[in-house]
Amino acid sequence: MTDDKLRVDQELIRELADLLNETGLSEIEIERKGYKVRVARGGVAVTTAPTANPQQVPEASPASSEPEPANHPGTVTSPMVGTAFRSPEPGAEPFVEIGSTVSEGQTIMIVEAMKTMNQIPTPKAGTITAIFVEDGQPVEFGEPLVIVE
Amino acid sequence: MFDKVLIANRGEIALRIERACKELGIATVAVHSTADADAMHVKLADECVCIGPPSAAESYLNIPQILAACEITSADAVHPGYGFLAENPRFAEILQDHGISFIGPSVEHIRLMGDKIRAKEKMRELGVPVVPGSDGVIESDEEAAGLAAEIGYPVLVKAVAGGGGRGMQVARSPDELGLALSTARAEAMAGFQDDRLYLEKYLAHPRHIEIQVLGDGRGNAVHLGERDCSLQRRHQKILEEAPSPALNADQRDTIGETVAKAMRDMAYRGVGTVEFLYDNGEFFFIEMNTRLQVEHPVTEMITGIDLVNEQIRIASGGSLTFAQEDIKLNGTAIECRINAENPETFVPSPGKITQFHPPGGLGVRVDSMAYTGYEIPAYYDSLIGKLIVHAQNRNECLMRLRRALDEFVIEGIDTTIPLFRELISEPDIANGSYDIHWLENHLEKS
Repeated sequence: MTDDKLRVDQELIRELADLLNETGLSEIEIERKGYKVRVARGGVAVTTAPTANPQQVPEASPASSEPEPANHPGTVTSPMVGTAFRSPEPGAEPFVEIGSTVSEGQTIMIVEAMKTMNQIPTPKAGTITAIFVEDGQPVEFGEPLVIVE
Repeated sequence: MFDKVLIANRGEIALRIERACKELGIATVAVHSTADADAMHVKLADECVCIGPPSAAESYLNIPQILAACEITSADAVHPGYGFLAENPRFAEILQDHGISFIGPSVEHIRLMGDKIRAKEKMRELGVPVVPGSDGVIESDEEAAGLAAEIGYPVLVKAVAGGGGRGMQVARSPDELGLALSTARAEAMAGFQDDRLYLEKYLAHPRHIEIQVLGDGRGNAVHLGERDCSLQRRHQKILEEAPSPALNADQRDTIGETVAKAMRDMAYRGVGTVEFLYDNGEFFFIEMNTRLQVEHPVTEMITGIDLVNEQIRIASGGSLTFAQEDIKLNGTAIECRINAENPETFVPSPGKITQFHPPGGLGVRVDSMAYTGYEIPAYYDSLIGKLIVHAQNRNECLMRLRRALDEFVIEGIDTTIPLFRELISEPDIANGSYDIHWLENHLEKS
């Protein structure tokens, strides 16, 4: 995307985010001038249409210095399609943060699908060195959730 | 009209559905297994969601995952394609319960036609001719022997929960009946978890002729002519043509109207195919498929009607926009199902397509998800594309088919293209004189 477009998007997203908070809505989607923006509580998804490059659902968080999840042996992936939640319930402490120590089988996240909450355990003990999803973000099968080292 | 359709399928039919949705301005969601991450329809869809590992049971047949994908993408309808969950009444019902439209017939009709005995009973009730046989489930081997004697050998033992050519055994004489029954029973249990059997007369030299129907669920229904799918190997169709070289206009109109009236009486919704065995001038109903069929393009070519478009419109509440008299059948169309298999041994040939160059020109259509560099996964069926040609008459169609097959380049894997080149030079095929045993006999000889 060009710088101009990016600037416009940021303004727009800020507006929409404010609107979300004011109205208590959980999701707003608008379409303008060849692109579509959806702002959801807990995450932002941007889709550009119509090109031959679809965006994966969900759009990954803004790039940071996080390790590459695809080949890392410590990556824990989602075994199902659904919505990821970082805490056992809204307002509670997240299961893990970066730096948290976990034991084998400990719940690191919940993936909710069809109103059932599924606890996602870590297959091995270690330290959380990366978290790839935000609270309330839709995830697909195989989506990287965290890295445990 | 729907805002967003989730395509619960893969391969060439997923691409077909994707195209129809795009033309209707509907957003698409492609769900896929990890093995299909690079599939063409996944690349073209507006959104994609990975729903599981390669195994079909854990992905394309995984109802909870598909439902979850609908939830996170807010899809308001699902197109099931063919195979997988397309004729699973529970899937249709679950979607309904969740307020998601299932692009297909009612749950009740899917269930009805999925039970091959109830389907026959219903069709008989509606005035459609059926194959003579047991009027219900065979309760015992003794009963079967008695019925078989009445019907007359040879007889066919069939699974009630079967269909698509699976779960059938022939008994040519009373001596063979016992073994046929036990084999069919075991196969039915293994394949469909239902070992109920029924008996039918086994027809000597039938053709497989099926009628394409379209209904709007409100008592309006039309037929779109027939397809002749007699060329089969192990009960799987490999080449289909429309119209059938065996029927004249009167026969077509008569059977077509009989079937269309039955669909009106049922208030059938969506597309469907009523399959017959045609022997000696007579039609015998065998089963109805309550879904889009692989070979639907030949009907589209001769009628000019986009069947997937109609499916979607009707599912979203639309009515039929044309009457029977508006439907004109024009010319001949032939489809070749191109499989990634050795053309002589039929051993599957998954792997990377190093060169893919489909034919073109007037009257040539290729429905395929393949492309140069595409890796065919080993986990699914071997259909990689359909070559469909259309021309003003059958001779021109065969000439065009020969030309198109000669242009078609697929390298890096085995395909059945050489088999089709050979078949269309056979006099019987050129004359249209073949029945459902022709291909197997031909393959045995060569």
